[in-house]
Amino acid sequence: MPHLAALLRVARRLTFDNAAAEDLVQETMLLAWRGFHQFQPGTNARAWLFRILFNAFYGEGRKSQRASGPLPSSTVVDSRLQEAAEISEALQTLSLEHRTVVLLAVVEGFTCQEIAGILNVPIGTVMSRLSRARQELRNSLAPLAKEAYR
Amino acid sequence: MTDDELDQRVRASILAEELDTARLERSVRQRIGRAGVPRWALATVAGIILVIAGGLTYRVFFRPPPHICVAAARDHNHEVVNGAPREWLSDPAAIQSLAAQQGVPSTAIAALATTGYRLERGRLCFLQRQIFLHLVYSRNGEELSVYLRPRGSDSPFDRSVRQASVGTEDLAYFQTDRLTVVVVDAWRAQAAVFARAAARVL
Repeated sequence: MPHLAALLRVARRLTFDNAAAEDLVQETMLLAWRGFHQFQPGTNARAWLFRILFNAFYGEGRKSQRASGPLPSSTVVDSRLQEAAEISEALQTLSLEHRTVVLLAVVEGFTCQEIAGILNVPIGTVMSRLSRARQELRNSLAPLAKEAYR
Repeated sequence: MTDDELDQRVRASILAEELDTARLERSVRQRIGRAGVPRWALATVAGIILVIAGGLTYRVFFRPPPHICVAAARDHNHEVVNGAPREWLSDPAAIQSLAAQQGVPSTAIAALATTGYRLERGRLCFLQRQIFLHLVYSRNGEELSVYLRPRGSDSPFDRSVRQASVGTEDLAYFQTDRLTVVVVDAWRAQAAVFARAAARVL
């Protein structure tokens, strides 16, 4: 089933709860299945799925939870375990809007134009959110960066 | 730290996570299975069925008559109803002879005499560039036309009597293994009555 991992990756960082994230992805796929006639062939299926995911997330009145610890059952295989934990924590400190654009732009590789379509906001808003989110991340990770480059 | 460096570190950190999507995929498939066929698919299938059913209904009940029948209706209206001046044979023996020349079995003319209608006259005519034997029968002072033409015995045929209307004319037509028969009248649907009787004896 294509794009399932990407949807789950983003859902986990929207809900900060594994079960809730899986529920959200299941709901997304079910809505996509039911509304498949609305998908226009030739357009970006991945962006369409993410748009459904965010509509489901906001439509259910879900709120971003700022978890105090790392994501449960998250298995980080990178040798730089500490850095991964720091980055994960830095992401969690971002507001939902900022975290969302970082996940979509930086992790999932969507363009600002595509993100504007997914979130149904002006492209300028996406760009400013991304810029501020990067700055916040940079500030959060600065000590780590110093250590890394020492 | 540049944007690119920052992005690279964030991306590498998150993509390094191992996600087990197999269980999630099973759950999604189960939910989709429970949800059944989506409404749009049902609507599409229902639409296709309606179109097919409509097409079949049209073919069965509203199928336009063959061109030859339309031509026969016009010919009947012109030559019988409006009495266009034509040379007719009224002698039964002469009509039998004319029929035989056209390959229409003499037994057919005799069989049609058993339908309760009286043979009034006959001649040859062209319908759709094909020669037909045009016979006029009457009963109770009303006339109807019967158009006969031999047909190839090896081609498939439909013995069931089909009906149609062309303008003010009622039509009934059928085939036997040897003949194509078109019956036309302009009054009280006698064409179908005659055609059913003829189909039994031909």
